[in-house]
Amino acid sequence: MIAYHQFGRTDLPTEQQQALKKAVRWEYVTISYTIVTIVLVAFVVGNSQAMRTAWIEDMLSLIPQIAFLIALIFVRRRPTVRHPYGMHRAMGVGHLVAGVALLAVGLNLGYEAVSGLIATEHPTIGTVDLFGQTIWLGWLMIIVMAVIVVGPLIYGPAKARLAPALHNKLLYADADMARADWHTNAASIVGVLGVGLGLWWLDGVAALFISLGIIWDGVRNTKGAVIDLMDQRARTYDDKHPHPLAKDIVEHLRAQPWIRDAAVRMRDQGQVFHVEAFVVPRKRRVPVTRIDEVSESVAEMDWKVQDIVVIVCSTLPDEADRGAAHARLH
Amino acid sequence: MLRRLQGILLALAMTTVLAGCGISVPADPEGTLQAVSEGDLRVGVSPDEGLADVSGAAPTGPLIDLVDTFAESLDAEVEWTIGSEEMLVVMLEEGDLDLVVGGLTDQTPWVDRVGVTRGYSGIEGAEGRAIVMFVPLGENAFLTELEGFLDTEVGP
Repeated sequence: MIAYHQFGRTDLPTEQQQALKKAVRWEYVTISYTIVTIVLVAFVVGNSQAMRTAWIEDMLSLIPQIAFLIALIFVRRRPTVRHPYGMHRAMGVGHLVAGVALLAVGLNLGYEAVSGLIATEHPTIGTVDLFGQTIWLGWLMIIVMAVIVVGPLIYGPAKARLAPALHNKLLYADADMARADWHTNAASIVGVLGVGLGLWWLDGVAALFISLGIIWDGVRNTKGAVIDLMDQRARTYDDKHPHPLAKDIVEHLRAQPWIRDAAVRMRDQGQVFHVEAFVVPRKRRVPVTRIDEVSESVAEMDWKVQDIVVIVCSTLPDEADRGAAHARLH
Repeated sequence: MLRRLQGILLALAMTTVLAGCGISVPADPEGTLQAVSEGDLRVGVSPDEGLADVSGAAPTGPLIDLVDTFAESLDAEVEWTIGSEEMLVVMLEEGDLDLVVGGLTDQTPWVDRVGVTRGYSGIEGAEGRAIVMFVPLGENAFLTELEGFLDTEVGP
């Protein structure tokens, strides 16, 4: 059992440890695969705006993975006097960096696609000499894009399965992006085919479609990261619902015979939560041992809620989550 | 997701059908290859010592011979225009030329405004330079035809 005076936790239960090990392995697999695809596409990228956009999208997709691996180094550090909450926020910072990078590059690519269309720039795709044969480069582009479409379909769902177990939004965002990655490849194939058929504008339209995807990823991730860093109440890994642990903790507190009413303020620090529990006791005097006991019992409820402070008060703050009012609040 | 995959397959199928209808891939948005075949090939020449000499009544040199052979393969009549590189690039952009030749290399700064062939260092008089030719932007069938011709004539 973790002693009460130790805030937060930097070690994980077995299930989470295994999930984390797998997640790290998948991230390394993804990074290696992406580097191979970047090199492969470099040979055929040519003058197609759609291909160029897809290529840059490939490079961008490395950011969340690298951010995840770097953040892991910090997340494992124990809280100290200097950093009393630990360094869990590193995940949130990584999330924000990834989001902003996506947004900036997405906007730039979108602008390039639109200005190319307005200026009616006809993409020029010539030939290559392959083993003495003159082959239209467009065919090679299509073949390469059709081959590398496979990767994200494998590692995307694998990571999406691990994200809930680890309650890791950065990992979830990464998986989510991988899921959308194949749209990029498919769109670039359509763009190049368009050029092949003499429909020069299809290339720019495909590039625009891809950059809209990147912009959307950027907006969503930036927004999610910013509101988490601004301490919105803890939500599930996919941001869809308020996290059910808040309600569970409030119910657990109310079940104590000496507590009349309770509410919590719970924020997401990355993988773990920081919980402030407000309790209104039935009697005017509360032995300090009761407070120690109840905070330990809350910490035992879930690996994510090790960092808990119990505050005894006469009335509950209005903003705190009272559990029962759960449905009404969100 | 399946529906999207079906969409891609449909696009591929359509391509095959269109190819069967006589549309070849790649195609020219402005139809250059079709226009010059059995027609006029309007060629701009930027003079270069050893590659294209314009001092006589008609231009001469290894590049000129190469263009003549290319025109023959398309049953086209060559119509020469002599000028500075910039003037020829502008004419190419405005659709007044189909091809520009001269002392142009793969280091050309015009790459955003014209279609550029691969570099060919096997051309007589190239002296180690990778010589390129200019075509109108996006005329990919014409570019493919030209590069195929150059690959067989002077090697890739």
